[in-house]
Amino acid sequence: MPDPAYVAQILVSGLGVGCIYGLIGIGFCVIYNASGIVNFAQGAFVMLGGMITHALVQRMGLPLLPAAVGAILLVAALGIVVERVVVRPLWVRNATMFAMILATLAAQIVIERATLILFGDQPKTLPAFTDLPPLRIAGVAISFQFLWIVGASAAIILGLAAFFARTRTGKAMRACAINREAAALQGIPVGTMLALSFALSAALGAVAGILITPTQYTAFNVGLPFAISGFIAAIVGGFGRPFGAFLGGLALGVAQAVAVFALDAGFKNIAALSVLLVFLFLRPQGILGAAK
Amino acid sequence: MIRLRLEGLTRRFGGLVAVDSVTLDVAAEGVTAVIGPNGAGKTTLFNMISGFVPPSAGRVLFEGEDITGRPPERIAARGLIRTFQLVQLFQNLSALENVAVGRHLHTRGGLWAALARPGWARREEAEVDRRARDLLAFVGLGDRAETSAAVLPYGQQRLLEIARALAAEPKLLMLDEPAAGLNAAETRALSEIIRRIAERGTTVLLIEHDMPLVMTTADTVVVLDFGRKIAEGAPAAVRADPAVIEAYLGGAEAAHA
Amino acid sequence: MTNLRITTSPDRVRALLRLLPGAIGIALVAYALLAGGYLISVVSFGLIYAIFVTGLNLFMGYTGQVSFGQNAFAAISGYASAILTATYGWEPLLATATGLAGALAVALVVGYPTLRLKGHYLAMATLAIGLIAYEVAVQWQSVTQGYMGISGVPPLGIAGFEITSERGNLLFLAAIAALGVTAAALIRHSRVGRAMAAIAGSEDAARALGIDVARYKLLAFLIAAVYAALAGSLFVHVVGFVSPEVFGLHMVNLAFTMLYVGGIGTVMGPLVGAVVIMLLPETFRAFKDYQDLAYGAALILLLIYAPRGLASLADLLRRRAGEGRRA
Repeated sequence: MPDPAYVAQILVSGLGVGCIYGLIGIGFCVIYNASGIVNFAQGAFVMLGGMITHALVQRMGLPLLPAAVGAILLVAALGIVVERVVVRPLWVRNATMFAMILATLAAQIVIERATLILFGDQPKTLPAFTDLPPLRIAGVAISFQFLWIVGASAAIILGLAAFFARTRTGKAMRACAINREAAALQGIPVGTMLALSFALSAALGAVAGILITPTQYTAFNVGLPFAISGFIAAIVGGFGRPFGAFLGGLALGVAQAVAVFALDAGFKNIAALSVLLVFLFLRPQGILGAAK
Repeated sequence: MIRLRLEGLTRRFGGLVAVDSVTLDVAAEGVTAVIGPNGAGKTTLFNMISGFVPPSAGRVLFEGEDITGRPPERIAARGLIRTFQLVQLFQNLSALENVAVGRHLHTRGGLWAALARPGWARREEAEVDRRARDLLAFVGLGDRAETSAAVLPYGQQRLLEIARALAAEPKLLMLDEPAAGLNAAETRALSEIIRRIAERGTTVLLIEHDMPLVMTTADTVVVLDFGRKIAEGAPAAVRADPAVIEAYLGGAEAAHA
Repeated sequence: MTNLRITTSPDRVRALLRLLPGAIGIALVAYALLAGGYLISVVSFGLIYAIFVTGLNLFMGYTGQVSFGQNAFAAISGYASAILTATYGWEPLLATATGLAGALAVALVVGYPTLRLKGHYLAMATLAIGLIAYEVAVQWQSVTQGYMGISGVPPLGIAGFEITSERGNLLFLAAIAALGVTAAALIRHSRVGRAMAAIAGSEDAARALGIDVARYKLLAFLIAAVYAALAGSLFVHVVGFVSPEVFGLHMVNLAFTMLYVGGIGTVMGPLVGAVVIMLLPETFRAFKDYQDLAYGAALILLLIYAPRGLASLADLLRRRAGEGRRA
């Protein structure tokens, strides 16, 4: 019988990572809803969030907060570039789903390699946002970074909910998700919505990357595992439902934390990826969206 | 002899009953047509018989054997071959290759035969080629063998799909709206082809909107409305049935057709 | 022979066109043999990749499925070859055979649940499989020696007769690649190949004609895995070294670029694409990081502007020939 405090500790770390997966999963949904596209370059945005923030802090000497904001804006801009340069040309040519997947995966590789050339292959990390020793509650250590992750995720979710419910743009994006042709007929600029969804999704990825980096590290090649995790989170939540994706991320994070605990630390990524596969194979058909 | 028997076949989608306890015997000889207004459940009925949609209740008996809920490929292997309402050709293949795929169930070449090409496999391939060309000629596409299926005009795509289905030597051929999108001349040619298929001893079950085709081709007509069978019989008798005229809103369309 | 004489000239053009890639390939191998030096190793790598891509093409081009994880099977067989020969002193041929069997076994176990997935799910699952193989190669240090890799892998050979000369290697690889491409062509034009192509065209229609779709997808996946595994072992024995990076995402990126350059779904496309990409100057001049950047960018451009690769060029010529006949 394991120590309950230890179990709680695993749970906490799983929930922290789960929030990150959830944010990435929301990013998948936002683009999918606007276009029916699954963006395999999603992980590049996560990786760049941490990398650019690090570069702005280290090379430009910016404080953490402005650096993070700058990184989010830059990554959002890059999201639009990916949409214009890679996705849009295929979109207007009615390319097959498979060509779209391959092209976005190639974009992921291009961004990864460019990052390697610009920033080198050394892993980098960011300082914790609040440099205080972890809180101890009933024997469970809760780091301030965990609180940042949970707080920021909650704020983002509330913000997104308001955005989709209240603003014209948010409502237009929701209309696209329900029926793109009908939305176009009503005069909603579907193309602009696509670009916007990439910007939003890239920004979400960047936030996720910035939040998680202080707890581990970032390097040019961390993107893909994050992308796969976010994708599974989106599936578990019923593809195309942003808030379901967030819950899916939490479930996935906890499952992974348990699997990692059961295995050697060196095999963390393998355990994590295997959990993903198991989720994918056993995905409960009932709560699934229409993604094919 | 009864080729196909449906017993209380039912399909519900959520609260909607698409097919409501349909019981039906399809005789081995001749052409049976299932007609009915849009949304009457005709295609769902076809999908249940051919194994693409599992029934909510009821049984499908093929030559007395219960095939309910079997996967489509096993039902096909039993001798029940269908076509699709929206033509489902292999667009990546030539017309000839499309028909050759139809020979799948009656050939046995596996990976080893593909690589080593033993004598029997070469003879089998030659036979596939010969039969496929015969069938293309039968539906009038003899000169389009090498043409990519994707570039054939729509009417010819329909005929190609029928030739491909015939290559599987069906005991029961199910055609889902074979005349959809055809002009009058093409429809007449199709009617002729369907009659000849039936004369060769293949049972034909078809879903159709096109009344002239049904009236000239079918021996028996079954009418579905809101998922229920409302009439069954010879074409002339069914056409005169008040319930049928009622089902086709306004009635006149069906009566004059 | 008489047959040949009575064919019309456009038909002869078509026949020649079909033989053209093979003829160029033979000429290239012959030239590399004469010229020697760096060209030999470039063409050798091209041939090894041609085998890998031919398998990929069978699964993706012919059968219409998606796999980003074929590198996993190259890694399994490649590492088996390296470990069994360098660490345990096995015969290279026996080690390669064991590697192939191992890769096939894993493909069978993994393929069964994976191939029930479609589209995006299939793509993501196979991507995860490739990443898992990479991670295992990195982490299982007691066996794989992690990032360091394993060196001193002996060249191919049997019972003491090793292929030590570069020229011998090239000839051997050319023979294997020719066999691989021929086998793929034979499969394509057979009952099995037609069933695969039918699945690519319409799964529903294939099932309605009695084709066991799951079975043929698995068969295509297994064949592709064997090609990948063979390429993996050949690579390790020819280079004498293996590391996780050899079979990483780099391999996926490169293989897809080759497949799209040559023309996906065509019999000769993989060979043409592999050799063309290997002969591109960037390949041997710049560093690998720039290579992957260039291949990724090239792949995006191909997907947008020339999704049928060089094969569309051949189509154009063939259509000209066809028009000539009709005129």
